[in-house]
Amino acid sequence: MEHWLQAYELVVNPYVLLVMVCSAAFGLFVGAVPGLTATMATALLVPVTFFMDPIPAIAAIATCTAMAIFAGDIPGALLRIPGTPASAAYVDEAYTLTRKGQAERALGTGLICSMLGGLFGSIVLATSAPALAEFALNFSTFEFFWLACLGLTCAVIISSESRVKGLVSLFLGLFISTIGMGVVTGFPRFTFGITDLMGGVSFIPAMIGMFAISEVLRFAVRTKPMPKVEQKPFGSLFAGIKGTLGRYKFNLLRGSIIGTVIGILPGAGGDIAAWVSYATSKRFSKEPEKFGTGHVEGLVDCSSANNAALGGTWIPAMVFGIPGDSITAIVIGVLYMKDMNPGPTVFIERPHMVNAVFLAFFLANLMMLPLGFLAIRLSRQILRIAHAALMPTILMFCIVGSFAINNTTFDVIIMLVLGVFAYIMEENGFPIAPVILGIVLGVMVEDNFITSMIKSEGSFLAFFERPIAGVLGVATFLVWTVPLATTLRRRMKASRSTT
Amino acid sequence: MSKNGFLTSLTIGAAAIGALMAAASPAAAAYPDRPITLIIPWGAGGGTDATGRAIAAVLQDDLKQPVNVVNRTGGQGVVGHAAIAQAKPDGYTIGVITVEINQLHWMGLTDLTGADSYAPLALYNIDPAGVQVRADAQYKTVADLLGQIKANPGKLKGSGTGQGGIWHLALAGMLNAAGLSTSAVPWVPTDGAATSLKELVAGGVDVVTCSRVEAESMISAGKVKALALMAPERSKLYPDLPTLKEQGLDWSIETWRGVAAPKGTPKEVLDVLVPALKRVTENKAFTDVLDKRGFGRVYKGPEDFTKFLRANDASLGATMKAAGLVK
Amino acid sequence: MRFNDAVFGVIIVVFATAMMIFAETTFPGLPGQDYGPAFFPVGIGGGLFLCGVALIFQGIAKRKEAPLAQLGDWVVSPRHLINFVLVLGSLVFYVLASDFLGFIPTSLLILTVLMYRFGCRPLVAVGMAVAVTFVIHSAFYFALRVPLPWGLLQPVAW
Repeated sequence: MEHWLQAYELVVNPYVLLVMVCSAAFGLFVGAVPGLTATMATALLVPVTFFMDPIPAIAAIATCTAMAIFAGDIPGALLRIPGTPASAAYVDEAYTLTRKGQAERALGTGLICSMLGGLFGSIVLATSAPALAEFALNFSTFEFFWLACLGLTCAVIISSESRVKGLVSLFLGLFISTIGMGVVTGFPRFTFGITDLMGGVSFIPAMIGMFAISEVLRFAVRTKPMPKVEQKPFGSLFAGIKGTLGRYKFNLLRGSIIGTVIGILPGAGGDIAAWVSYATSKRFSKEPEKFGTGHVEGLVDCSSANNAALGGTWIPAMVFGIPGDSITAIVIGVLYMKDMNPGPTVFIERPHMVNAVFLAFFLANLMMLPLGFLAIRLSRQILRIAHAALMPTILMFCIVGSFAINNTTFDVIIMLVLGVFAYIMEENGFPIAPVILGIVLGVMVEDNFITSMIKSEGSFLAFFERPIAGVLGVATFLVWTVPLATTLRRRMKASRSTT
Repeated sequence: MSKNGFLTSLTIGAAAIGALMAAASPAAAAYPDRPITLIIPWGAGGGTDATGRAIAAVLQDDLKQPVNVVNRTGGQGVVGHAAIAQAKPDGYTIGVITVEINQLHWMGLTDLTGADSYAPLALYNIDPAGVQVRADAQYKTVADLLGQIKANPGKLKGSGTGQGGIWHLALAGMLNAAGLSTSAVPWVPTDGAATSLKELVAGGVDVVTCSRVEAESMISAGKVKALALMAPERSKLYPDLPTLKEQGLDWSIETWRGVAAPKGTPKEVLDVLVPALKRVTENKAFTDVLDKRGFGRVYKGPEDFTKFLRANDASLGATMKAAGLVK
Repeated sequence: MRFNDAVFGVIIVVFATAMMIFAETTFPGLPGQDYGPAFFPVGIGGGLFLCGVALIFQGIAKRKEAPLAQLGDWVVSPRHLINFVLVLGSLVFYVLASDFLGFIPTSLLILTVLMYRFGCRPLVAVGMAVAVTFVIHSAFYFALRVPLPWGLLQPVAW
């Protein structure tokens, strides 16, 4: 209880609240502008939070992402362009509602469900993370090695259509993680005599490059003009919302649960949560034929799912240092910079800080109601923003943001190289998320493997000797081999039937 | 509007900038007339970061200019140390240098050395290494520990920092002095003393040769005990802790921290910075930070600091050669 | 710009081979350990190599529907090609020139040119560039104390 009081003091003070409102406005704006993603919002926000204390910095990121994911619904409903990938699953549904003249219904439902889903995710985060941390306290390098391996596996399986391309992305991320001189290997690798590379590829500039520069490049070569919004005033946003929620309260709960669980899986965040819950909603609906014709049921599921996922993604990030998605990968980088190294010990040593993060999460979702309401009211203005002026501005922010972390232009070069790299990869169907996970988890896999090997005097068996390590190890092997075996069996069957 | 209109506006803009610059007076104001950057080659939360930030805070009041701290981490300190050495020598970028600068070049990781690549300004801290074991370990003295190592070479594991770091050297030097091979205690590299001590408590390693002060919280929590200090004489801070020398081993090693500017920094600037830093090391706000955390306080001005750096470099080089860590 | 998977496969195979050879031949081992700095990179290289081979096969199998290289419609449109080059060029320009010119002139130049290229009217472009540069400079230099270079403007620094 005492920790919660301390946490309350850390969060509920004018400075932190002001930071939260500002980052909320930023998140809503970035989320609502098509082509700018929630991850990009985070990457651009980090250089600023870099100069704050840990709690306002983390509160800013949590608020910004929650808002951006909700705000992605706005251009989805009004223009049929998802503001962020997390809204992609249900743009058609929302847009059809708008075409039927019910834009306010689509957005109002989205707002309320986003808030409720987000609150659900926060509660799960606040209750399960400390318990999990307690359990993980006895984890040693063996367990962390397997956890990191599991994380990498999930990243490949979930995040891409082509498994080979996902694997390529993952390996490239792992390769990037080996650049520089690590503490365990103590030898500068792939630095080619460049001192700036000795510390490895700077993470935040890399993120800014991959999520923001690539977007500016895509805009620069965009041959189709940006679509225009129709001018038509909104009616009441929340008319009939009670009935909708009452009718679909089960969907709300289901969406929240699916979202949280998918969030916890490494490599999958709000976007995948929304797709899965849309499919689930349609599958189990009493009126599946209405889906796609402007039916509000799917919106309830998805809007709650993608915001609930947010809380879920923070669970593995804070307890194990394993990112739940690309945004929490950035968060982990920030936690390290703020000397709040993620892992079970931070829950023991500084429970008030951890509780403050939970509290900030909760508050952020509550703030969503009034601020989101405002954003919807202002949406026409936001959507009319001139990309011609916005994109160069973002470019300049990227440059200064990359520079600000280490005060070196070398980081601007890193941003540039990885931005072009990410652009080419995405154009050709290679997913970006596994690259990020590879960069974050690569060090963890390698360091824990080598230290474990030194401790066990070169015996592989040690990776299975401790009970939890053994279970995790077997699980990792199963996750790798089962899909492989099923594909092989299917292939063999297919070839037998063709011959 | 036409393309010409655009060019006109560009020209006007350029002209305006030119006029502004022409109007500027050429006379430079007295140093310092803008913010100073203090580079710290280690991450947030460590001892170098804490002491460096304390210096920045006091120096800022002394010089009446903001002093901004930048953590340039990675590459076991190479990145930050290089950034200080390669900064424009105008006094607006200075940094904290640490013992690693006299180690890294022996391993072929950089060309920089403490005495020759910088303008040393002030040495403010020295901490000798300690020998720490689990509180419930059977051995009471270093001799017990060494006996155990001699009986089962390769069985006990050591830790304290990364591969080839200063505490790795401390252990290697101790084994060397005792006539043991450095492979008698395999090194488990970690990202720092805090992690190594956690491993020690968890039973993953058996001896941690980080500085005594870094082990303070674990020792006062009763989980770790210190066997000896790797110093020439007993410390005033820990009068009951014997030195290795008393236990028959001629070996001492320490970590140190100091402030340095890039080589070639003009004399006018040094004349401002050196006395300012001396005042900082005497300031209560600064000494409190060091005392509270148990860091050993010293002060050496530029000349003494340079002499110290040369002696330190030579002795580290000799032990690294003996330990087989030199490339 | 889309390429056939086989093109990437070949690039990846070459890259992975080079990386494995480089790691294996130049990285020293850890004293007394079997798994040194080269272990992980060689493993990654091996994985990439296999993926590259798989991509080559996939690409050959799909060669009918996916040509070797498929240029996006923007490559044939000079306007967009210039845009693409300009964005990259302004980043390179910043890296090369910001220390000498200083942040403010560099930023003004980049912003004005890009905004104009992307379709702002000239005066709007200049005005926006001035406003954005001023905001970014104040926010980062003064509020966050990032030492953005003054460059040529050093004598009039405020």
